[in-house]
Amino acid sequence: MTTQLNYLDRFKGYLRLDTTTESDVMRELQAHLEDKSQELRESGLSEEDVSGLAAQLLGSPQLIARQIYEVYSQGSWRQALFAALPHLLIAALFALHCWQSATWLAGILIAVIGVVIYGWCHSKPIWLFPWLGYCLMPVIAIGILLIYLPGGWTWFAAVAYAPLAIIVLALLTKQIIKKDWLFASLMLLPIPIVLSWILTLGIGERLPWYEHLYGIAPWIALSFMALAVTVAIFIRIRQRWAKASALLTLEILVLAIVASATENAINFWTWLLLILLSLFLFLGPALIERRIRES
Amino acid sequence: MNYGRELLKGNTDSLLLWLINYQPMYGYQIIKELEKRSNGYFQFKEGTLYPALHRLEKAGVIQGNWQRLPTGQERRYYYITQKGQKALTERLTVWQNFSAAMDLVIQPASG
Repeated sequence: MTTQLNYLDRFKGYLRLDTTTESDVMRELQAHLEDKSQELRESGLSEEDVSGLAAQLLGSPQLIARQIYEVYSQGSWRQALFAALPHLLIAALFALHCWQSATWLAGILIAVIGVVIYGWCHSKPIWLFPWLGYCLMPVIAIGILLIYLPGGWTWFAAVAYAPLAIIVLALLTKQIIKKDWLFASLMLLPIPIVLSWILTLGIGERLPWYEHLYGIAPWIALSFMALAVTVAIFIRIRQRWAKASALLTLEILVLAIVASATENAINFWTWLLLILLSLFLFLGPALIERRIRES
Repeated sequence: MNYGRELLKGNTDSLLLWLINYQPMYGYQIIKELEKRSNGYFQFKEGTLYPALHRLEKAGVIQGNWQRLPTGQERRYYYITQKGQKALTERLTVWQNFSAAMDLVIQPASG
């Protein structure tokens, strides 16, 4: 019996489906193991042999879980469009030079909060995670603003705000990783992109920064368009390796777009930091997931 | 390449649809029924059946429902849908035409 429980545990670990489907699949496989065990028992095998053989005849838990995952991992075109929508809105914000419009900004903020609350309360569907990523942006933006403010605000940002923000980010990311680390990477995807553009603008050094923003706005719009397309592709493809490759390719593409637009505004070390941050936000969730499982 | 295995792989959906259309069944029952009806010729790798059933369910041609057996155990029975019946009819027509054409080709030429 222990062998079968181990088998089902390993199977569940590879499955990564929504709770209802996962529960159905698990019960179905458990029922199959019960039937097979009964058949083997009736053929005269010992209880010890029965348990191991029934699981062995079912086949590799990793392979079955992967095949079932690929049945359910493809979102519809509607889900793909809805998941790409926040990135499209940000792309439009910069393409149409509307970033100073309070109406646009308020509209996007209300949409993001509304969609996140709805999605979070409705079993966290696949389209939720790109929207959730934008909920983290105000947390990061406030941190950056505090750094640039005069007086003791920089110290406040370093000592009080940054640790608090990191704890909030880590707790939320851990929640998402429990569902699937790829969703956490999808959620964190805009962070290095937004940081790259903020560093390019060099707020505080290059005044007035918003004049510079006019010059690079089309590039910013392009990077968010690329993000939107990648998210749509991510939702539509079935295989996990292809989903992960899509996210990694986007990181490289966006860093190339930023490099084309910056005209040496970012020095070598900052670039290195951005690349490491991108890799950390992409691969970190996978490593954390592994650690959670092992514990 | 194992030709028999490739043929079975290519016709898995048709076989599953036909069996489920004949009578609603659950996974283990399908494997046994297929073995019995083919005199042991069709032997599914047990684990490969479930991805195939879920793929058909996602495509809307079958529908799974949990039912309690007289023993008290629960099993997920699969039922064919209207879309599934239509797909099965089309598949059977194609298969019969294909099989008839194969027979014509491989039978010894008369006259």
